[in-house]
Amino acid sequence: MRTSAFRIFFMTLAWMVLAFLLLPILVVIPVSLTDTSYIGLPKEELSLQHYAAYFKDPRWLAATWTSIWVGLVVAACATALGTTFAIGCWYLSNRASTVARWILITPILVPPVVQSLGFYRFWVTLGLIDTHGGVILAHTLLALPYVSISVFAALANLDRRIPQAARSLGASVWQTSWQVVMPAAYPGMITGAIFAFIVSFDEIVGVLFITVRNVSTLPKKIWEGIQESIDPTIASVATMLVLLTLVATAIAIFRNRALRA
Amino acid sequence: MTDFQDTTDHEVKADMAEIAAHKYREGRLTRRGFLSAMAALGILPALGSKAMAQANEIVVVNWGGRASEVLQEVMADTYTKETGIPVTVDGSGPSGGKIRAMVESGAVVWDVCDSGMGTALILTEQGVIQPINYDIVDKSKVLDQAAYSHGVGNYVYSYVMASNPKLLGGNAPQSWEDVWNTKDFPGMRTFRKSVRGMLESATMAQGVAPEEVYDVLNTEDGLKAGIDKFRQLRENIIVWGSGSASQNLFLQEEVAIGNIWSTRAHLLREQMEDGSFEVSFKGGVIAPGVWVVPNNNPAGSDEAMKFIAHAQDPELQVQWLEMIGSGPANPQAAELVPAELQKYNPSSPENLAQQIFYNDEWYAKNQIRAEEMYVDALIN
Amino acid sequence: MPRLSDTWRYWFLVLPALAIMIVFYIWPLIGIWQISVTEPALGLDNYTRMFESSAVTTSFVITFRIALLTTIGCLILGYSVAYVISNFARRVKPLMVALVLLPFWVSVLIRSFSWIVLLGRSGIVNDTLRGAGIIDAPLKLMHNEFGVILAMIHVMLPFAVLPIMANMRGISPAYVDAARGLGASELTAFRKVYFPQTLPGVMSGALLVFVLSLGFYITPALLGGGRVLMISEYITYQIQEFLNWGLGSALSVALLVLTALVILVAARFVNLRSALLERN
Repeated sequence: MRTSAFRIFFMTLAWMVLAFLLLPILVVIPVSLTDTSYIGLPKEELSLQHYAAYFKDPRWLAATWTSIWVGLVVAACATALGTTFAIGCWYLSNRASTVARWILITPILVPPVVQSLGFYRFWVTLGLIDTHGGVILAHTLLALPYVSISVFAALANLDRRIPQAARSLGASVWQTSWQVVMPAAYPGMITGAIFAFIVSFDEIVGVLFITVRNVSTLPKKIWEGIQESIDPTIASVATMLVLLTLVATAIAIFRNRALRA
Repeated sequence: MTDFQDTTDHEVKADMAEIAAHKYREGRLTRRGFLSAMAALGILPALGSKAMAQANEIVVVNWGGRASEVLQEVMADTYTKETGIPVTVDGSGPSGGKIRAMVESGAVVWDVCDSGMGTALILTEQGVIQPINYDIVDKSKVLDQAAYSHGVGNYVYSYVMASNPKLLGGNAPQSWEDVWNTKDFPGMRTFRKSVRGMLESATMAQGVAPEEVYDVLNTEDGLKAGIDKFRQLRENIIVWGSGSASQNLFLQEEVAIGNIWSTRAHLLREQMEDGSFEVSFKGGVIAPGVWVVPNNNPAGSDEAMKFIAHAQDPELQVQWLEMIGSGPANPQAAELVPAELQKYNPSSPENLAQQIFYNDEWYAKNQIRAEEMYVDALIN
Repeated sequence: MPRLSDTWRYWFLVLPALAIMIVFYIWPLIGIWQISVTEPALGLDNYTRMFESSAVTTSFVITFRIALLTTIGCLILGYSVAYVISNFARRVKPLMVALVLLPFWVSVLIRSFSWIVLLGRSGIVNDTLRGAGIIDAPLKLMHNEFGVILAMIHVMLPFAVLPIMANMRGISPAYVDAARGLGASELTAFRKVYFPQTLPGVMSGALLVFVLSLGFYITPALLGGGRVLMISEYITYQIQEFLNWGLGSALSVALLVLTALVILVAARFVNLRSALLERN
């Protein structure tokens, strides 16, 4: 292929933008290896002390564990609720169900601070402030839009005549949903569950409003770390999370390649 | 929420909790000196003469975090050792609203609360806290300005002028006027995300004498002029929202000058390299924390007062200073403060002389409006 | 009869999620409106105060300005990436897509933290530039609008790239080929033929980035230094510093209404269904 100036211009720009996306995320790596007690590049030598600090600090570990299990519970709840919801809407496919779908995605559009304010006041009356249940409920609500969107998208490819055929052969609505529609929704459920986990795992504003002392999640610890202490431990936590993401992304790329080959 | 304007600065208390936590983590906080403090305690007021109607337990409430543990260790456990009365520290934050609700509902579970001047004044008006029994609590062991009818100072902290001479070509600002002089002292400044303790410095920067600051601020022109000072300086201002944020700004060399809490300055002094941190109490604003006792407290009035008297012990208060930089409310503690800490003690006689007391009445009256004007000055 | 009961059965599938969303999400949101007219006293005082306050007005102006600049930045940068991925990238396409998605999976907090590390007065950028002798005094990169917008573009960029890419996927190369065949230069073919077809995607991306930027809190709060006071930060400021729930709620309602207005206005230019409801 001939490469014109036009193409070179766009290619260069695009790669620069991608570098802009990637490189700033990577700066946490050298910072995490700093030998100083404050956030900055290593001065004299590389040090793993801030990783050690993370693994030795029960509060960091507890927060990490909380984020993981809360995220898993949220992923399970949101996937179950969101999938049934999307399947129901897919069957109905009428005006009312479209309205329902719009209602379900409001959490994407409402500013985080505003919704957290709402959570806070309501959670106070429910006695859910500073409880894991309260966080799980809030995160499930925030994750629902992603599950319902991705499941609904997966169902777009399902031929409506197939469940109809199953029904006419005597299968109940539940059997049809379970055995015919669900398998088609499966890829969407997986995507949705991953999204739901990430939404919960990264969520910060809501947690800041509805938790006090009992519940601490990883983002909350990081937030406190950035705002309130001078601890480079956050850099080590960030590095581990970034590396984890890089590995996961790389695996995803190679799996795609393998599938296509 | 609270149904009155609570002007007390509770954040500083939470902040001390955090400092303590940090020190604990680094292993710098030990039981060092406890035994000597115990020995020095010797006599407890009113113990022998009165009937030994011993309380089952005294519940002392402060603002949580590890500071509760420090309070437990320094004040509560020592008291238990002396008297055999168990003392529990509860860190759930005795806000004015909570104290009032507790008293009015008749279910009081707190004996001694770590409150503030503003709250103490309001609670006194509302009649929900007890008068301090100055037969048990020693009035001579607390700063005059912190001995109220219904509340008594437990420690003090200040808003002080801090600077990093390294970023200022070796100079350090000597007055608030210097802080506003960006020509000779270029660089960023940090002020609090609230007018508390800040407006005073802006007023002094206009050449107003410290003792006249609140008189000037009481006039409309005075308030506007103070706010205007921030408008002039705003291109050079980064605000701090929490004590540690202010500390961070200095550590990261984001700012050269700041108006910050003395407790944080105390830490920065240890953390910054020699010659890169200066702190001056000149023109500082000092504010006390205050013990209050809710009406009908479970342990009984006398027991609560005895605990407060115990916490007046100068040696214990000096330990507080060493641990988290909060100044002793007991003037007698000043001479026990190690020489190298003297300069950083908000309540040392030299430092007291050059500071003014935080005026809660002014804040009760003007804070909401002043805050609004302050934000406007910074962003508009 | 059986058809009717089927419809009911389908609604039973829809209902649990819908009910939870309405009870625990929509209802509390409406509650905010209620707080704004009842605290501290019944009436519209909070709104009067809000409209009279020049600090609030300024904060709204700042919010819209930052959202707008972020959107423009994201569109320019995002378009080039989407364009290259959709048209020129072949073997590297999965890699490029992954690079776009990667920041998506790294939390906003960590990305903001990275920018703090980079942009500080003695941050990596300043230190490097000073070390190389390019500058004498450190540049002010953070604690101002520049830093906030830069970091926000970084956070929002994937939201612009993805809808544009989705749109470009549906554009047949035949038109551009035809234009080229008729003698148009590559640039002209792009400008006259390709670009107009991508506008729906651009609009979707713009809407998404703009709406998300309006309510953004984390990055401005961490990088703004308190002077780049966007509305979300103003709200938390009212509530956390002064326990002023009334004004905080009134501001929230205002922000919510403005967001809704933006979406309604956008509905004239953007297919909302494909931009929001059916994106993937």
